[in-house]
Amino acid sequence: MTGVEDAFLHDVEAATAAATDERRRLAAVSRYDILDTPSDGTFDKIASLAARIFDAPMATVAIVDSDRVWFKAAHGLRDVAEIARDPDLSAPVIPHQGPYVVTDALDDPRTAGSSLVRGELGVRFYAAAPITTADGHRLGSVNVLDTRPRRPTEDQLAGLQELAALVMDQLELRLAAQHTVAAERERRADAERLARTLQRTLLPPALPTVPGLRAAAAYHTASVDEVGGDFYDLFPLDDGRWAFFLGDVCGKGAAAAALTSLTRYTLRAAAIYDPDPCTALANLDTVLKGEYQGDTPRFCTAVFGVLDAEPDGSFTVTLAGGGHPPTLAVRADGTVEPVSTAGGQLIGLLPDPHFVQTTTRLAPGDALLLYTDGLIEARTADGSMLGEEGLTRHLATRAARGAEDLLATVHGLFTDLGTGVSDDTALLALSVPPCSIPQSAQENR
Amino acid sequence: MTDRTLTATRHTHSQGALVLAVAGELDHHTAPEFTRVVQETPFGPDAPVLIDASGLTYCDSTGITVFVSAYQRAQKTGTRLFVVGLNADLTRVFGIVGLDQLFTFQPTVDDAINALRA
Repeated sequence: MTGVEDAFLHDVEAATAAATDERRRLAAVSRYDILDTPSDGTFDKIASLAARIFDAPMATVAIVDSDRVWFKAAHGLRDVAEIARDPDLSAPVIPHQGPYVVTDALDDPRTAGSSLVRGELGVRFYAAAPITTADGHRLGSVNVLDTRPRRPTEDQLAGLQELAALVMDQLELRLAAQHTVAAERERRADAERLARTLQRTLLPPALPTVPGLRAAAAYHTASVDEVGGDFYDLFPLDDGRWAFFLGDVCGKGAAAAALTSLTRYTLRAAAIYDPDPCTALANLDTVLKGEYQGDTPRFCTAVFGVLDAEPDGSFTVTLAGGGHPPTLAVRADGTVEPVSTAGGQLIGLLPDPHFVQTTTRLAPGDALLLYTDGLIEARTADGSMLGEEGLTRHLATRAARGAEDLLATVHGLFTDLGTGVSDDTALLALSVPPCSIPQSAQENR
Repeated sequence: MTDRTLTATRHTHSQGALVLAVAGELDHHTAPEFTRVVQETPFGPDAPVLIDASGLTYCDSTGITVFVSAYQRAQKTGTRLFVVGLNADLTRVFGIVGLDQLFTFQPTVDDAINALRA
């Protein structure tokens, strides 16, 4: 290899290396996400401090992009937000180590052709300290400019370097804060998505078909931000009977979803062990207290019921409630009456809770509506709580027939209440289809 | 969005009862304030505790846990505990969840003081 070829290859290698360095440098500039951001008090103060240290009229905090020098802060330079990268006074800082000083720009071959020197501003003095990342990339510089040639002191140049280091610290802080905020936002979105998904999986995808009975369920979401912990289920027991439950766990979000899961599977297991409604709730109470001890008690309200099919087509319903609003029976003749479990206490919170059991009969044409308190605690237009009375009145005037129709009626109520509904609501309706029933069956009720 | 504000303070009634006044909306966001006041209150057989809820406009499930924790402390320490001035909506909520069986309710602080004397 000749000396000329050697030198040529060396130049090519050097050029390639420089291009690679510049690519990495631009990646670093992009990482700090600072270009074209609005002006910021901290950087403005750094620029004015730089000018003060040098007693100079102009100073900038400049970031060097691929084709321009963009000023994050500019002191004494009116209406100049950026300048072309080449040729100018800021670009030279990129290949240069340490502070860069031009004592008289007119005489200096590096800068004599610059627009800032030749143009209106007539810059004669220029000092720059590079803004360097921890991994050695030069993002730009803190610059001081004057229209007079001058010779800076060591102290002034040291001060300028400290200001450049301060800019770098500030950029790091900004980046860390952005990452924290983005990570937090992402984490929250993930948690909400997970909770929402989990919550959906906690509800049966479709209700099973119970012979001689119609069943319908709905989940009304009040807020996209806070996932509630309402739940319901309808399932067969080993002895051919059917059981159902509906309830509401305390709290919102992922914690509520986890509690809902535990509650639902505990009630299902408890029903297999002993389907007596009060016993099922008492078992749930024991499990919740065992699972959640200490300062953050986790509890729920629930109604648990067992359906016994009678030979005449009606169903005997045995219901137990703990801390839950009364279930409503909508009779074939349109009257609405509570099937109250009043006195039943919260499940999982109290030392020795009391649960209340009651029995009702669903004759052909009758329906049962179970709901969580999001519905009755909703606010009506005049600001008062809808309450059990308001719900009863609404159902009594609509004369809904059958489980689906009943839920459609309640859906209409939700639409009327609009933003007055502030909590999620689960709904479960059970109805016995009307038939050409013997007169005696109605009289027996 | 309603502003979620709650105030919870404690003072001693001239008759010696400790009055915990809670006013505003008691929910997941504000419950820690009321919890702090309950925790800082010295429960004991000598001084009855009155929770003055006459200014309470809302109470969610988290709020209920604070009332229950006050009840449990009262039970443990032999403290007489009253809930005073609960509005009609909240009285209904307390009834539904069965807390009416835990607490003694009185319309006003004076009524509670008179009930204590009787």
